[in-house]
Amino acid sequence: MDIQIKRGLLDVCVLAAIKSEDSYGYQIIKDIKPYVEISESTLYPILRRLEESRLLTVRTAEHNGRLRKYYRITPLGLRRIEDFKEEWKEILSIYQFISKEEK
Amino acid sequence: MTKSDFLNELKSRLNGFSQKDIDESLAYYNEMIDDRMEDGASEEEAVAAVGTPAQAAGQILAEMPLSKLLKVKLSSGKKLPTWAIVLLAIGSPIWISLIAAAVSIVISLFAVIWSVIISFWAVAVSFTLSPLISLGGFIFAIAQGNLGGGLALLGCGCILGGLGILFLKPCVYAIKGGWWLSKKLFLAIKYCFIRKEAIQ
Repeated sequence: MDIQIKRGLLDVCVLAAIKSEDSYGYQIIKDIKPYVEISESTLYPILRRLEESRLLTVRTAEHNGRLRKYYRITPLGLRRIEDFKEEWKEILSIYQFISKEEK
Repeated sequence: MTKSDFLNELKSRLNGFSQKDIDESLAYYNEMIDDRMEDGASEEEAVAAVGTPAQAAGQILAEMPLSKLLKVKLSSGKKLPTWAIVLLAIGSPIWISLIAAAVSIVISLFAVIWSVIISFWAVAVSFTLSPLISLGGFIFAIAQGNLGGGLALLGCGCILGGLGILFLKPCVYAIKGGWWLSKKLFLAIKYCFIRKEAIQ
């Protein structure tokens, strides 16, 4: 898949992974992995970018005697997910049209 | 590779960046490796799973704005031996002018792109304004009793005006194309500062 497209998609995937509850790095990777390939090194810049764009917030909490970063989605992040879904409704209907034409 | 080997190599690859950036990056990978080990992986497996320090550093570099990258490239110098410094000083007329040449080439590339766009617009705007100007000429010609000449002038002005309006749309495309080209050029220059390991 085109790298730029994948980057944009992964951004929203990460947001979706933390949509219902706070999550941490490794858990996010485990959640996304069944659907699309993602590695720690790709996830890191995504998390930083999302934080800079204020689509999520970060807090540090203690876990088993060490520190772990937890990510929480912001209202802006939720809106980003909804916008994305809207965009793709149109793409889906185009896809249906294209597929339908084969008779 | 052990966790500390991984983190140390990553740290040295990030040499030159702010302490904050380095600490955050190290903390992230430290956490990732620990989480995998908590899930049952051995230290070797966990470290292998998060990728190589080269990949990690590459991804971090790829996300850095150009300004930070330049600062890092300039500051990450190992101590140079005296003879190297002397050679650099002696050779400075050469490499300084080479750098100046490279910079001027880059600047001229941008200048070419945008002067083409500016000339497009110059044509479009001047053509589009011709009817107005020829109107002035028409009035002047009438004042001198030269109706035929005045009409001809006005007619030419209108033709040019029409052409100018038609030309406006290509001008918009020219700007979009020029902007896209400039961005690509900028990215290409930025990636001169990052190795290929960065992407993927």
